Amino acid sequence: MSGICRARLAEERKQWRKDHPFGFYAKPTKAADGSMNLLEWEVGIPGKQGTPWEGGVYKLMMTFPEDYPSKPPKCKFTPPLFHPNVYPSGTVCLSILDEEKSWKPAITIKQVLLGIQELLNDPNVNDPAQSDAYTMFKNDKQAYERRVRAQARENIPK
Amino acid sequence: MSSDNEYSDQDYYDDEDEDVLLDDAEDESASEMDVDAFDTDYRLSAKGNRKIYEVEYESLSQGDIEKLMKDDVDNVSGIFGVDEDTASLLLRHFEWNKEKLIEKFMDNAAAVNAAAGLSVPEKPHPDRSQSSGVRRSTRQNSADKVKTSSKTKSIIERISPPVEERFVCPICFDDSQTEYLSLSCDHKFCTDCWNAYIASKIKTEAEQWITCMGEDCKIVAPNAFIRKSLKNDSKSWQRFQELLVRHFVSCNQSLKYCPYPSCTYTVSCPSASSKSSLTQIVPIVVCGQSPTHKFCFGCNIDDDHRPVVCGVARLWMQKCQDDSETANWIKSNTKECSKCQSTIEKNGGCNHMTCKKCKYEFCWVCMGPWSEHGTAWYSCNRYDEKASIDARDAQSKSRASLERYLHYYNRWANHEQSAKLSVELYAKTEKKMEEMQMSSDLTWIEVQFMKKAADEVFKCRMTLKWTYAMAYYLDSGNQKELYEDNQRDLERAVEELSELIEQPLDPEVVPSLRQKVTDKTVYVQKRNEIVLEDTAKGFLEGRWSWNVPVEGFD
Repeated sequence: MSGICRARLAEERKQWRKDHPFGFYAKPTKAADGSMNLLEWEVGIPGKQGTPWEGGVYKLMMTFPEDYPSKPPKCKFTPPLFHPNVYPSGTVCLSILDEEKSWKPAITIKQVLLGIQELLNDPNVNDPAQSDAYTMFKNDKQAYERRVRAQARENIPK
Repeated sequence: MSSDNEYSDQDYYDDEDEDVLLDDAEDESASEMDVDAFDTDYRLSAKGNRKIYEVEYESLSQGDIEKLMKDDVDNVSGIFGVDEDTASLLLRHFEWNKEKLIEKFMDNAAAVNAAAGLSVPEKPHPDRSQSSGVRRSTRQNSADKVKTSSKTKSIIERISPPVEERFVCPICFDDSQTEYLSLSCDHKFCTDCWNAYIASKIKTEAEQWITCMGEDCKIVAPNAFIRKSLKNDSKSWQRFQELLVRHFVSCNQSLKYCPYPSCTYTVSCPSASSKSSLTQIVPIVVCGQSPTHKFCFGCNIDDDHRPVVCGVARLWMQKCQDDSETANWIKSNTKECSKCQSTIEKNGGCNHMTCKKCKYEFCWVCMGPWSEHGTAWYSCNRYDEKASIDARDAQSKSRASLERYLHYYNRWANHEQSAKLSVELYAKTEKKMEEMQMSSDLTWIEVQFMKKAADEVFKCRMTLKWTYAMAYYLDSGNQKELYEDNQRDLERAVEELSELIEQPLDPEVVPSLRQKVTDKTVYVQKRNEIVLEDTAKGFLEGRWSWNVPVEGFD
């Protein structure tokens, strides 16, 4: 699908500029020479209102493989996020981002980002990716929430 | 060997669909029938000579398996009145468990169809597109959904009629595409996107269950759809066929795919399909592709581990992996404190040892108590004193189990090593055979006895190797003694034969050597048979008992 990859990403970009959910941002990165790199996007996911994640906008890098959309993009929080389903490297563990699970070529960037936003306050305890957040979430919900709120404060956009 | 086994196979697999079988047989050309008949005869006679330590098995080519699959598919499609592709998907969903499929399908066909990804579930599930944003053609989709689910069950593919409104593929957004395909869910995508998606699923994920590209859509693509989408990509189509066969094989306990790289053969060995049978037989099989494709049907050890059964062989391999090097090192570098039996490595200093654990002071040379050494420091002449002998006795007891293991391990490793050197032995033997032809009046055919002897030595070493693994775990008693007698007889004979064929060649004695080697080869062969047969018989009779718990044995 290498031929499709760039065309699809260009269209995604167009659609995003036309309309996107409130509080989010998503833009392809710039290469050293100033040209646009469609295969790597910098995106921001806001925490949902009424959750401990509220207020923060969490920065994430989306890397698209050459055979996108046959294969899903890789989504990585930078810096790594304190969350049970985020690997210590920052990579997000989510079924719609796994080609052997629920990834489908029809899933758009918007849907991916909304899916990750959903995941923030609704972690999947059956699929832990880091031990810190997972054990705290399991054993001490209050401390977990405090930690999440602190993280939200650190991520208030300037 | 490739097309031999239809008959017995079908007998085995198809118990209830005689009529379908007959149809099949009629389809086959006369010449093929002849070949089959001949092969079947051959196989029957081979079966008659089967040794007690051999298992009955058949090698099947990819085509043979495809035939078996087709029989099941035809059978199911006949019963349910559905097309072949649908039957294939249903069977795959039920992991080729025909009985279960029939039972469930008769019970509730609609639910089975929905679960298998053949049709859109009847009740429309809550539309999540509202919350998750875009859905270009949501309204149109849900309208279609109702329409299709209400009237069709099987999968239909639609080829685009000339479209009035311009079709935009939601994957690539290319609006110049006019050809699109969709599964029964009616999610339309352009043919290029389907092609890339399906090829990637097959090639990089080795997936035979390919679902629609639409988000959250579980509708699965039937074979005809895949074929069409792949267009001229015959390589991917071929790979897909192979994946179907592999899936079928993995679902069937009595089938196993040949583990050799890029081999597409399958072996059918119903007698080894249950776990419990593996305590009685050692199912070593060879696939029809090449006589070197020899593997064990029951486990993953890539070796002919006869005469010992899989469970014991596995225990032994595990132990060797964990312990051998460590045990060897401990044996050569340490001694045990003669009081508390802690293992001590002496890496410097004098012979006056003080155990770190129990503070016992002793002499490293004689192992006796240091207090008795008086002033004879650094030179121990008390080796034979009673206290020293006692101390060494106690130590030797704690060494016994280690020694015991190493006894078996070293013999095992020795045979393995010798077998590995067989390449060299063959080269040497080859040279000797040439020499013989020059120096005596023996012809090429007459010097083959050497090669035969080398073959036999190699074979027997493999047997011997595994007999040591078995002996290590055998409970001591009369049975073990008899077993070790047989083992010893074989080993002695093998070493003698090995010596005969490896000694330097003296032209004077070639005729007598030939006689000796030939006799010995026959003898060795017989001893090997005895070991293999007696051990196999012992397993069938449940004669062997183990000194550790072994999986499958009570």
